[in-house]
Amino acid sequence: MFASVTSAALVGVEPSPVRVEAHVSGITSKQAVFSIVGLPDASIREARQRVQSAIIATGHRFPNRRITVNLAPADLPKVGSAYDLPIALGVLAAIGVLPPIATKVVAMGELALDGAVRAVRGGLAAGIVAGRRGLPCIVGSAGGAEAALSGADVRGVTSLAHAISVCLGEDPGEISPADSPASVLPPPIDLASVRGQSSARRAVEIAAAGGHHLLLVGPPGAGKTMLARAMPGILPDLTPSEALEVAQAHAAGGRPPAVGRRPPFRSPHHSATPAAILGGGSGVPVPGELTLADRGVLFLDELAEFPTHLLDTLRQPIEEGWVHVARKGVSVAFPCRVQVVAATNPCPCGYLGDSRTPCRCSSPAVDRYRARLSGPLLDRFDLRVTVPRVEAAALLGAGGEASSAVRSRVEAARRVQEARGSLNRSLGRDGLDSLPWTEGAGGLLASAMDRQGLTGRGWDRVRRTARTIADLDGSGVATGDHVAEALALRGAL
Amino acid sequence: MSRGDRIALAFLGLHPDRARSLVERHGSAGAVVRLARRGGIEGLDPDRVRRGEACRMEMDRADCRVVLHGEPGYPAALEDLGDPPDVLFVRGTLRPLPAVAVVGTRRCTSYGRRLASAFGREVARAGWVLVSGLARGIDGAAHRGTIDRGGVGVAVLGSGSDVVYPADHRHLHDTLIESGGAVITEYPPGTRPNGWRFPPRNRIISGLSKAVVVVEAGVTGGALVTALRAAEQGRAVFAVPGDVDREASIGCNLLIRDGAIPVLGPEDLVEGLSLLLGPPTRAPGSPAASGLPAGVDGVVLASARSPIAVDELIAALGLTAPTVLAAVARLELDGRLVRRDGLLLASEGI
Repeated sequence: MFASVTSAALVGVEPSPVRVEAHVSGITSKQAVFSIVGLPDASIREARQRVQSAIIATGHRFPNRRITVNLAPADLPKVGSAYDLPIALGVLAAIGVLPPIATKVVAMGELALDGAVRAVRGGLAAGIVAGRRGLPCIVGSAGGAEAALSGADVRGVTSLAHAISVCLGEDPGEISPADSPASVLPPPIDLASVRGQSSARRAVEIAAAGGHHLLLVGPPGAGKTMLARAMPGILPDLTPSEALEVAQAHAAGGRPPAVGRRPPFRSPHHSATPAAILGGGSGVPVPGELTLADRGVLFLDELAEFPTHLLDTLRQPIEEGWVHVARKGVSVAFPCRVQVVAATNPCPCGYLGDSRTPCRCSSPAVDRYRARLSGPLLDRFDLRVTVPRVEAAALLGAGGEASSAVRSRVEAARRVQEARGSLNRSLGRDGLDSLPWTEGAGGLLASAMDRQGLTGRGWDRVRRTARTIADLDGSGVATGDHVAEALALRGAL
Repeated sequence: MSRGDRIALAFLGLHPDRARSLVERHGSAGAVVRLARRGGIEGLDPDRVRRGEACRMEMDRADCRVVLHGEPGYPAALEDLGDPPDVLFVRGTLRPLPAVAVVGTRRCTSYGRRLASAFGREVARAGWVLVSGLARGIDGAAHRGTIDRGGVGVAVLGSGSDVVYPADHRHLHDTLIESGGAVITEYPPGTRPNGWRFPPRNRIISGLSKAVVVVEAGVTGGALVTALRAAEQGRAVFAVPGDVDREASIGCNLLIRDGAIPVLGPEDLVEGLSLLLGPPTRAPGSPAASGLPAGVDGVVLASARSPIAVDELIAALGLTAPTVLAAVARLELDGRLVRRDGLLLASEGI
């Protein structure tokens, strides 16, 4: 009297199969003894009452026997009510209501006492596990679209009775097409609506082309946020597998994973806690903003307002593309291959160097403000540009080039980089050395080291940016002009 | 009154008006100093007298001279003042060249900063001396402009000559002296820059100058005080007009309404000043003669004679951003272009 059903759990953003085993003893007791083992949390132990009620409400007898449910692997922490449906199906199979062949499904869902099935978060994980095993995936019908992102054979069900007939092949269930959810993200701002800002526009294009981290410095209202929000619009579309990874990260964070092909854009507020940004939480760690921005843009507005220690902890994950979070014996690695766009005022009041509004800051205050920004994080920005206030005349004038035109140049530059093997952002010194540079380029770099105190790391950063500029230019060799422009675009602050 | 007593009185660091009324009441500087030593002057610590005496020993080491009213080396222009400072502490060289003051608010906009810097450069190019207060904002920008062009500047402080305020103008202060200018004050070494010391300081700024140019000023503030003192002293007052709704220009616009001469640009200023100070002694360098580089670099340098933002430069030249940015970086590396507060400025020798 043994049966098993597959379900799924998320470890980090990686879905992991969970085998729900049910055993019903042959000996009748005075009353049903129902126990769940295998590192269940409190909400799973409550499943006993829900499963028992739902089975009875569906019209089946709940046997007065010893029933043991094991969630394997036992060392994987499992949370939530998502295992109600697989537990109920397992118990029904173990008592013979369902034939063993009918439980070759991946199931996930919460049961109501009357037997209705509610969708739970993590449906995408079940879909991915089902897809890998080639099994149908049974989830609450409201969660069908999420699970279908995986491309698996997803059957939405409304009740336990419905699930039983789907398992028995009597009912197809509600089938969700694999590509149903359209992007729910607001469309990125089009660069055509950004007026003026010629040097900042150029920097945004270069940053997008090479995946470089970008710092925008300017007074309030200059359009820093607009420029940052335009960034996803000029980045190349995600590939289907990248889009699925992004959807997984969002699903793991408990957010609707309908992402589409646009790279994500996340803009955490500077008052956000380290756990909200890096990932964490009690129990099983959930991904933070850093991971939600994976393969997209992480926008840090008012960079100087973020706590210094938080900016310091961001440094390594941004460099590595992974953030490691350890909680209560579980250590998970969340992906965070983000492109950072940060914005800051030039001084506490924001108007230093502005043409109309006087700056009200004392210069020690300006120095203190800048000191918060300086240091290792600032060093990570290949591009640092000034975004001045746009005069009324320019605002009334014609808009700039549209995002679509910029994106086609960015895509061309990205293709060159793909052929070389890596994004320019992650080119190491050896990689840079092996690329062709003109003598003029070398000479300019040498004099920048001499006269502007360019450090070794700065030297590599300028070369990376210069390489991207050359890629945008369609030039195989990086010239003095490319290096000069790269130098000019790291001047702010 | 003996010379020593007058210097000792100056070392008390009193407000000039108070010092004068005390001397009138007690008959001589010596009597006031003796009274101070006994603790007979309200609000003045007798220790101050002893500290002053100690400090006088250090004067030579601090490279600071004392110049008394009526003695050789005392600026003749200050004779016009109703209340000329009796003692001046001078570091550097005071030259008998025609001088013009360029002053303004510490809380300036980049518009004011740009003009102050351009005026400083034009004054230097004309061979005149630029007088200002070494303060943040307009004063500092004007001084820097003068130094950029190898001109002579005089800073009048509201503190002791060894107390640089703001502290980050230390380099500017030292450069002023090294480049043949001077830093003067009527307050003894060690004097803190208390707010009440600045209005009397302003009468020296205007007194030293034949004309006072106010670049930006709010409704209240030292720049307007300087302009009023200048008018009382019979100096010409110039003011830079600005947007009527711009806080930092209200003072200037008020001055123009009340009869100040509006300044319509650096060249206009030189023209106006030539009538008062005589023709410029140094020939204005023509751009061609100074060897502007050919091509984009030259155009960029010519446009950056006064501070300009990169985006303005790109728009003004009608060239693509990459071309202009590359030229800017090259010129920066060559030291021909500098960045100040996010604005680009061609450096000396153009």
